Amino acid sequence: MSDSAEDTVAPPLLEVTDYRVGFRTERGLAKAVDGISFTLEQGKTLGIVGESGSGKSVLNRSIMGLVASSRQVEQGSVKYKGQEIVNNDRQNFWGKDMSMIFQDPMTSLNPVMRIGKQITEPIRKHLGLDKKAAIERAVELLTSVGIPEPAKRIDQYPHELSGGMRQRVMIAIALSAEPDFLVADEPTTALDVTVQKYILDLLNDLQAERHMAMTLITHDLGVARGRTDDIMVMYGGRVMEYAPTDTLFSEMRHPYTEALMSSIPRLSYPKHTRLEPIPGTPPDIVSPPPGCRFAPRCKYAQPECIESSPELSSWSNHRWACFFPVGTDQGNAALERNEAAGVTAVGLPVRKREAV
Amino acid sequence: MGYWLQKVGLGVLLLFSVSVLTFGAMNLLGDPLFNIVGPTAIQYDELESFASDGSITPQDQQTLDVLRSAREEYNLDKPLVTRYRLWVSDFVTGDFGVQFSEDGEPPVWNLIKERMPRTVSLLILAQLMAAVIAIPWAVLAASRAQSPFDRSSTVISFGLLALPSFALGIILKYWFSIKFDIFPQTYTAGDSAKSHLWQLILPALTIALPAAAVYQRLLRTDLITTLQDDFILMARSKGMSKRRVLFGHALRPSMFSFITVFGINTGALIGGTLVIERVFRIPGLGTAIVEAILREDFPVVLAIVILISAAFVVINLLVDIMYSIIDPRVRR
Amino acid sequence: MSIDWDEPETSTAMSADDSVPSEHIAKKKLGWAFWLCIGWLVTIVLLAVFAPVLPIKDPRKNFLGSGAAGPSSPPSWAHPFGTDEDALDMFSRTIWGARVSLTVGFVAIALGMVIGGGLGMIAGFVRGWFDKIISFIFLALLSFPALILAILLTALLNRSLTVIAVVLGILGIAPVGRLARAATMQFAEREFVMASRTIGATNFRILTRELLPNVLIPMSALALLGMAIAIVAEGALAFLGLSVEQSITWGNLIGRGASGRRTLEDTPWAAFAPIGVLFLTVLSLNLAGDKLRDFFDVKELSL
Repeated sequence: MSDSAEDTVAPPLLEVTDYRVGFRTERGLAKAVDGISFTLEQGKTLGIVGESGSGKSVLNRSIMGLVASSRQVEQGSVKYKGQEIVNNDRQNFWGKDMSMIFQDPMTSLNPVMRIGKQITEPIRKHLGLDKKAAIERAVELLTSVGIPEPAKRIDQYPHELSGGMRQRVMIAIALSAEPDFLVADEPTTALDVTVQKYILDLLNDLQAERHMAMTLITHDLGVARGRTDDIMVMYGGRVMEYAPTDTLFSEMRHPYTEALMSSIPRLSYPKHTRLEPIPGTPPDIVSPPPGCRFAPRCKYAQPECIESSPELSSWSNHRWACFFPVGTDQGNAALERNEAAGVTAVGLPVRKREAV
Repeated sequence: MGYWLQKVGLGVLLLFSVSVLTFGAMNLLGDPLFNIVGPTAIQYDELESFASDGSITPQDQQTLDVLRSAREEYNLDKPLVTRYRLWVSDFVTGDFGVQFSEDGEPPVWNLIKERMPRTVSLLILAQLMAAVIAIPWAVLAASRAQSPFDRSSTVISFGLLALPSFALGIILKYWFSIKFDIFPQTYTAGDSAKSHLWQLILPALTIALPAAAVYQRLLRTDLITTLQDDFILMARSKGMSKRRVLFGHALRPSMFSFITVFGINTGALIGGTLVIERVFRIPGLGTAIVEAILREDFPVVLAIVILISAAFVVINLLVDIMYSIIDPRVRR
Repeated sequence: MSIDWDEPETSTAMSADDSVPSEHIAKKKLGWAFWLCIGWLVTIVLLAVFAPVLPIKDPRKNFLGSGAAGPSSPPSWAHPFGTDEDALDMFSRTIWGARVSLTVGFVAIALGMVIGGGLGMIAGFVRGWFDKIISFIFLALLSFPALILAILLTALLNRSLTVIAVVLGILGIAPVGRLARAATMQFAEREFVMASRTIGATNFRILTRELLPNVLIPMSALALLGMAIAIVAEGALAFLGLSVEQSITWGNLIGRGASGRRTLEDTPWAAFAPIGVLFLTVLSLNLAGDKLRDFFDVKELSL
């Protein structure tokens, strides 16, 4: 959804249209991804934000084709560099075209294999280098991700490194065969807060250097800010809001996005301001209720919201799926009605919000 | 370092206990003289009394002389502890006594020297075969968990484990030696190593199959668990092929239980090997000990029992040590 | 593959081959397989017990002479398992063989459980030097390859039914004892034992009333498996000719059936009949023991 002129020459790296991913279970089809469309251009970053169960991880893993379950069902279209990949074996893409970084570096690295081998393995396979050259490349890679004494690390095992370093190693591995597309699945969630910034900065730098496209998955809006070109907010397997990052932060429209914002602590808040967690629980993806997925937890909910499901509005590069968007007349009116009644149309109690 | 020392110390202590138990059993359960020279021992007291009142016949005198010399040789007139000490000092220097039941009373050591290589090669061959069968089997079953292949292999494993080894040996012998005549029915001590090995294949297979079933079950379970780990997904996402991920990434961390059991089982299989020798009539330690028992040649029995038990203790010790070497996380 | 995406939840969305793997569902029932095994076991036990009064042929009678089946005749109506080379009826011999084999198996494991279990429980409960000694004894016993110990003891003693059963029982003491000790230690740390103490229960009461019922659960699963092992061990001894003298057991039937040069070739059923029955019995014990273990969800159960 980028609109800068210089990118219109190359086709989008990834074109996802009405993509659906479900899993057959005893109770029925679990619709983890329920009709998502987006585009990712070369070299751009898409932030995908949502809570656990929103489908963000399933979306990315399914696009990559990493889900090994025989119960998975895919529908819709995903085009990588113009080539349709849904329902195809994507093994040939892994490593050299698309790559992934996982959340927990301790469990994502082979505990009984030396770091060096884990890096040189894909290098030798995809770049065809001999052992010596591969090790040199590995050392270069480790240096580029900011690991001190890389030659020493080559012979070490994962448990001998700190969490932050392990994540850097993982990044090195993911980038070793020079992919064009990187999926970063909550890359900093398992790390100390102090280390998070470094890793995220590192990712941005590397991405810029290599002109890689990236999807940054996180449950924390704050992580996505300033590091992504666009943000897609997911809930219950669907897109709630989709906008260029700055626009999202300055003009958010969806109540879920607003709720996510208020659960981020900010320095500018006065002391002892209560953080508002979002009340309620994620929806049932096997038999979701009709109507908006977020309605049961939404402050703005009106009767229409439980009867029918809002579609993603399709004008401009800022889209949202809501009947009573934040900051609009309908939205404000809806909120006031609920506050006056003390409860939403779904029965969720509403307090008057505190001034910030 | 202290850890290993402790283990070795325990091993020595166990060896000591084994020798005490065996020696004690031989000398306390029944008449030790009987255990050495056999039925003639019964007459000892009677003959001694004849000798003391001079009514002994020359023939009986001969018997009495034999008995007396046996008593002397085996120090039966000395207290038990002394006997033990003397016996142990003989034993550890390699003097296992003589085979009473053979003409000329050749040293027990000759028998052992002749028979042991066959038993040992059978055991080694069996374990190798078991590993070679079990590993690919487990990998295949784990990568296709719950498939018809996997389910049927579980059933087969179960069945194999329910069949006593000697029964399996008989069945294999029936089909492959008799009906299809691939392997010879009885063992002939051929000179070439190749024919020697060929004849060991069927008995080794008999021992290997149930062992492989156990190993396979264990390995499969661990593999399935490992395959759920994130680093397997990560390895795939690097573009590595399924085969490479299975054998290069998933196998090694899953091997620990298998290796431990493999090692310990080496000792446990010794018993099975002895029985199988009988089925296929291989002249090894197993047949030696059974013959010795039936001929009441107790020095032989004693020597073989101690030897095998010692091997057992040593093997378990080695397994312990090896385990701590293999897992880099345990190494300190 | 076209799936109707918005179809309401029904089981047609789930294809037949993809039900949730059984490993994920806790199997809380014993299942038909278990009862089938129990059925076989009960049958064989009844046959063994009532062998003297059953309408089967005399196991020691040679069916020679005119009109009789003669030696080495294949299975027929008169002789369902055929006759062996001495013209003895295999069917009745197999049933009679069950008497000794099953008895030995049962007594052996019973001994192992009473002595081993008892010692193990006490050791696990009182700890201290008693525990250290008992543990070492267990370890020493386990340092013999089992068959060797059995062979040694049977070589030294006379081979009566009692002796053989006791010898095998001795073999069972250490594995059972270890399990009992571990289970006892585990349970002794739980609060219900402490609670018992606070109301003044004596050690004996705690052992029998609180710990024993709990320890009995993993032990009972072990009992079935142990019996299978004991029967196989007796079989091995008998095969070697070292089991109860002058009696018919499965092991020595198999041994006879495979002994001569041409025996196996000419009279395979003489060996295969007892093999088959032995196999089914051991299989039933193993399966039943396994199911029992699953049912009670016993985690560690290594011999």
